[in-house]
Amino acid sequence: MNLTLENLKSMFESASCGVAARERELSELDSVCGDGDHGSAITGAMRAASAAVAGASDIKGAFFEAGFAAMSHSNGSTSTLLGSFFMGISDGIEAGAGQLGAAELARAFKSGLEGIRANTKADIGDKTLMDALIPAVGAMSGRPSVAEALSAAAKAAKDGADSTAGLRAKFGRARNLGEKSIGSLDAGAVSMSIIFAEFAKAFGK
Amino acid sequence: MKMKKFINNPENLTQELLEGMAAAYPEKIRLEEGKIVVRANPKSADKVALITLGGSGHEPALSGFVGLGMLDASVVGDIFAAPNAVSLLAALRKFKREAGILLIVLNHAGDVMSANMAVKMAEREGIKLRTLLVCDDISAGLDAPMSDRRGLAGCIPVIKVAGAAAESGAGIDEVYEIAERFSRRVATLAVAMRGCTHPQNGLPISELADDEMEIGMGQHGEGGGGRGKILSADDTAKAMFENLAKALCLKAGDKVFAILNGVGATTPMELSIVFRAVTKLAAERGAEVVGGIIDEILTVQEMAGFQMILCVVDDEILKLLRAKSDAPYWTCIG
Repeated sequence: MNLTLENLKSMFESASCGVAARERELSELDSVCGDGDHGSAITGAMRAASAAVAGASDIKGAFFEAGFAAMSHSNGSTSTLLGSFFMGISDGIEAGAGQLGAAELARAFKSGLEGIRANTKADIGDKTLMDALIPAVGAMSGRPSVAEALSAAAKAAKDGADSTAGLRAKFGRARNLGEKSIGSLDAGAVSMSIIFAEFAKAFGK
Repeated sequence: MKMKKFINNPENLTQELLEGMAAAYPEKIRLEEGKIVVRANPKSADKVALITLGGSGHEPALSGFVGLGMLDASVVGDIFAAPNAVSLLAALRKFKREAGILLIVLNHAGDVMSANMAVKMAEREGIKLRTLLVCDDISAGLDAPMSDRRGLAGCIPVIKVAGAAAESGAGIDEVYEIAERFSRRVATLAVAMRGCTHPQNGLPISELADDEMEIGMGQHGEGGGGRGKILSADDTAKAMFENLAKALCLKAGDKVFAILNGVGATTPMELSIVFRAVTKLAAERGAEVVGGIIDEILTVQEMAGFQMILCVVDDEILKLLRAKSDAPYWTCIG
C-alpha cells in the first residue's frame, strides 16, 4: 500500500496528539539541560503542522505547508529544525505526486534529513534530536513497503532516543553543562521518536 | 543572584519594550505587526534595503539602529532568542525591490538558522538579496574558523558602514563588498565581572565570584574565555587590546575607530577610563585612535562588563562611519 494524502493527514494528526499527550514529560526532560520549554514548543509546532496538512491538496504541498506552519508557530530552534525537515521532505517529492511508494518515501525523508543538516552540524552522539532522526531515516531505505519503512524508522528512532541517556550534550545551552548532562534523555530525540512511532501507527490503521 | 527588574508580565516583555521604543521616537521608527521595527520615513525603493534579525533583551540593539543611514528593518525575536524564519520572510517580502536587500546576520546558531530558511524561501520568490554574516568575536581563539566566531556589538559599526553606503545609492554588490571588507577589519572581545538574570524566568545567566572577571564572555554569558582575578582598567584594557591587535594584525600607521560598549551595569566613568587606555595602547604600536564611541549600544541585561570593539579604518570607511544617520541610538557622530 502506497502513502496517500489521506494517510498523511491521519499520520500528522496522530503525531500531533502523540506529542501533546506527553507535553509535560518532554518539558521536564528539557528542563534538565535546556530551558524547559520543549514540550510546549513541539506540541505547538506539530499542532500547527497538522492543521496545515489537513488543509493541503497534495503530498508535496502538505509537507511544505507543514514545515512553514511549524516554523511560523514560535521562535526557537525546535520549530525551525522541524520546519526545515518537513520542507526538505517536500523538496524530495516530485510535483503532483498523488502517492508515494516505499522507495519514494525513503528518498523524500532523506531529502528532509539534508534539509535539517543544512541548519545544524549536530550528528549522531551529540545528544540532540539527530540521534533519533538520522537512524530513523537511514532505516527507511531498502524496505519493500511503506508500512515496513515506517515501522523500521519508528524502531530506529526509539533506539536512537534511548541512546541519548548515556550521552554528553555538545549542542545548545546544554553543552555548558558538560558531564552533568549525562543520565537524562534528550527531549528533542524523544519527541522525534514519538512522531515516527505515531506515523507508523497511523499508517498501519 | 536574585532578579530585580522593572517589568510586567514576563510573557509580554518584547512587545512592551518595542512599543515603548517606537513611542519614544515616532519621527524615526515605527513598530509593525510581527515585531518588525521599520523606519518612519522609508528609504526610496531604488536604494538597497538593510535588514537584520536578533533576539530582544539587548536593547538598544538592534532596533535602536533602525533609521536613515542605518537599518531599514529589524526583525525581533523573544528574549535572547532568534525570531522565526517566517517573521524574517515577512520583512524580506516587505522590502522586496530591484535594488536588492542586504541581510545582516550575527553569527548565532538560532539567527543563522532562521536566516538560512528565510533566504531559501525568499529566493524561491525571486527576492533579490545578499547575506552578510558578522562574526567579530575573537574569543574562540585566533586560529578558530570564522564559523566559530560569534557576532557581538561589532555588528553596529558594520551596519553603519553598510547603511551609509546604501543610503548613498551604491548597488547591492558594492554595499556588500564594502561591508564585508570592513567586517573583516572589526574585532571584538567581551569582558564580564558580574553575571545577569534572564528577565523571563529570573534565573541567573553565568555566575562569577565576587573577585573574578572573565574575558571572552559571549553575549549571553556563554563561557569560553579566560577567567581570572579582577584587573585594573589599564590591565584589563591591555589584555584585551593585545589580542584584538593580534587578530587585526594592527600595525604602525593604522587608524583605529574604537568602541567601548557597556553591557548594562558598567558605568561611562569606567568605560572612559578604559578608552583612555586603548588610545595609549594603540599609540604604543604607532597606531592612532581617530575616533570612537563610549556608550551602551548592545546590552546584556544587568551584566557588568563591556565589549571592546576595534575597527581598522581608512578614509572611505571613516566617511561612511561619520555620514548622517537619524537612528535613535546612533548618537555619537553623524
